[in-house]
Amino acid sequence: MLSRHAEDLYWLGRYVERAEDTARMLDVTYHNLLESPATNETTAWKELLEVLYLDVTYDGPLEGPAVSAYLVTARSNQGSIISAVERARDNARGLRDGISTELWEAINVFYLDLARADFKIDIERRAYEIFSAIRSRCQLISGVASQTMARDEGYRFMLLGWMLERAEMTCRLLSIRYARLAGVEDQMSFHTWASVLKSVSAYEAYLKAHDASLNPTNVLEFLLLNQEFPRSVLYCLQQVERLLGLLADSGAQTNVERAIGRVRARAEFCDIATIVNSGLDQFLEELQREIYQVSEEVEDHFFRAGTDLQLHSYRWA
Amino acid sequence: MGTFDEVHGPDGVRPHYRRLMDRLDSLGDEDLTDRFGLIDSIFRTLGITFAVPGHENGMDRTWPMDLVPRIIPGDEWRHIEAGLIQRVTVLNRFLDDLYVGRQEAINDGIVPRWLVESADGYVREAHGIPAPGGSRCVVSGIDIVRDDRGTYRVLEDNLRIPSGISYVLENRVAMTRVLPVGFARHAIRSVDHYGASLLRALRAIAPPPVVDPTVVVLTPGVANSAYFEHSFLARQMGVELVEGRDLLVDDRHVYMRTTRGLKQVDVIYRRVADEFLDPVVFRQDSLLGVPGLHGAARAGSVAIANSIGNGAADDKGVYPFVPAMIKYYLGEEPILPNVTTYLPWEPDQLELILDRLDDLVVKPVAESGGYGIVIGTWADDETLAATAAAIRANPRGYIAQEIVNLSTHPTFVNGHLQPRHVDFRPFVLSGDGIEIVPGGLTRVALAEGSLIVNSSQGGGSKDTWVLEDGLEDVVATR
Repeated sequence: MLSRHAEDLYWLGRYVERAEDTARMLDVTYHNLLESPATNETTAWKELLEVLYLDVTYDGPLEGPAVSAYLVTARSNQGSIISAVERARDNARGLRDGISTELWEAINVFYLDLARADFKIDIERRAYEIFSAIRSRCQLISGVASQTMARDEGYRFMLLGWMLERAEMTCRLLSIRYARLAGVEDQMSFHTWASVLKSVSAYEAYLKAHDASLNPTNVLEFLLLNQEFPRSVLYCLQQVERLLGLLADSGAQTNVERAIGRVRARAEFCDIATIVNSGLDQFLEELQREIYQVSEEVEDHFFRAGTDLQLHSYRWA
Repeated sequence: MGTFDEVHGPDGVRPHYRRLMDRLDSLGDEDLTDRFGLIDSIFRTLGITFAVPGHENGMDRTWPMDLVPRIIPGDEWRHIEAGLIQRVTVLNRFLDDLYVGRQEAINDGIVPRWLVESADGYVREAHGIPAPGGSRCVVSGIDIVRDDRGTYRVLEDNLRIPSGISYVLENRVAMTRVLPVGFARHAIRSVDHYGASLLRALRAIAPPPVVDPTVVVLTPGVANSAYFEHSFLARQMGVELVEGRDLLVDDRHVYMRTTRGLKQVDVIYRRVADEFLDPVVFRQDSLLGVPGLHGAARAGSVAIANSIGNGAADDKGVYPFVPAMIKYYLGEEPILPNVTTYLPWEPDQLELILDRLDDLVVKPVAESGGYGIVIGTWADDETLAATAAAIRANPRGYIAQEIVNLSTHPTFVNGHLQPRHVDFRPFVLSGDGIEIVPGGLTRVALAEGSLIVNSSQGGGSKDTWVLEDGLEDVVATR
């Protein structure tokens, strides 16, 4: 398929996942502040901005309504939910022949709702409703995509973007939260670990797999290495590897397949106990770097055909 | 000046319209109003819209289709078809002669050289670019009108990037839903093989020795008003719809960027105008084109349809010479006559034009879409004076024509049928032969008395039924 279409689908997946992750983290931050009044509000909002790489660009007050508005409806913020959904919609519009009509409608209606003038006011009054509405819209989009689209090359590129974004985001969340919490064993950390799990919709799944004692090492292992939970880093990387195997059209191993193989193996065969003792932050940093490397290789391999050519207007025989 | 009505003749309803008009009568205005309301929703559901640039909700306007189809009986169609084949054959010959031949028509004085070379769409850089089989006009839209005596005349040739075919096909789909019974009672020739025919024509012009050519449609992008049509045609043909940024030229070959690497492209059905095709040769600020594309075409490694420089033949100033070209190249009389045209750069004709300005129509040669036209009978003195001054200042910039009182056709306006002026644009395909899908775009001026049918000027369209030859009275069994 055309590289441009594949790239648009890939980013469509990434943008929708980004919007969903942002909404979920906002939701959890809000609730965490309500449920454990001891939490420092300023720190909580700053951390959220850090996870989203937006702590440098944001210069408003570190409090709920302002940060929420910045993350949800601010068009000036390239990382806001409305910006992500708008770009997803732009991509979808150019892809009308490549995606199902249902998917286009789901994305289009989502954007039109976000762009409503009264949406900004709602967000201050009904934050919870809004965040969960955004999450369920994103889940609707992924459900509609999975139910109405053929499992063709285009679908795989969309899913690839989805999974890479999710792996990146979970890693990022862990590294910011863990850095802050390492060594803290007091009463407060229960809420914090619970909120980390909730940030990726993993709380209930975790309780089924372990129990309510929320051992930090167990939480970490669950979010990094669980093979069944669809938001764990390893699960996402395995999906990425499977998709790349289907998409790469060669017997020989390519850079992109090598890159994903490397990072998937690093995650799959790591020993949590050792890592926790000998430098978790370094491990997470390397993992993030390698996932980023995979994204770069994906773009080079699939979307940049011909850019490395020395173009000739005429080559003498 | 009389008017020819397509449906009502001196002896009442013309025979080929009787069955349709009976059906419409039996439905009554109220039922027709209901059905008319269906049309807009059908078009929106199908997503058939055109974009109006610079308009907030301009991305999804529908172009109104009328409820009453136009019917062309088989024998009339045979006449039109023969005339179109003759005309497009000659236009192809003339362009090939101009750009890669010995310019015989020009050297023999059939068409003045200065006129051709001063045409807006003449492209000097197109000299030497081959077109396999001489098919330079792979897709032509020839605008045909009917005068007050019912004679079919050619009003204009569109040989660059004529649009409208998607409406022909979608109007047909909508019509079968809105008037199924009326439709089933006629033996109507089908139009839905257009995509297959277009693909066949495009494959036929692939540069030799390619046997299984890769064909693409090149669009300026989603912001273009005809984007729907570009994507529609790509889908109908089952080929990629590409933008300039999807293509690159290396060593005079064209490639598209795919997820499996570069893939060579052999035939480009481009819907991008000449001046935007290649920033190396034409407009440097163009982001729509492909650097080096012109060189690849010249090297003959890729075929571009329609050919670059076709505007030398569809210029309004060259148009009056097409009948002479037909005699010159084929030794035949034109089957479809032109509209009588006067040329301001000829001194005696200039005097005639200025004398009769109030009963001629004046058209700027470089405009299309109905812009800049001055109809003398309707213009006020101030406009006429300004037009006269403009013609004197730049005679090559205008032509004047006898006003053709376009034929009228009953059209559903404000709840009942009223006569409105119509024209007709059939689409002619030339590949390894010339083929015309039986039908075309009938455009209708929705304002009472208006002669301007263009979509940009408030026009609508009609489904156009060409009946099976000899089966005009036979009920189709479907």
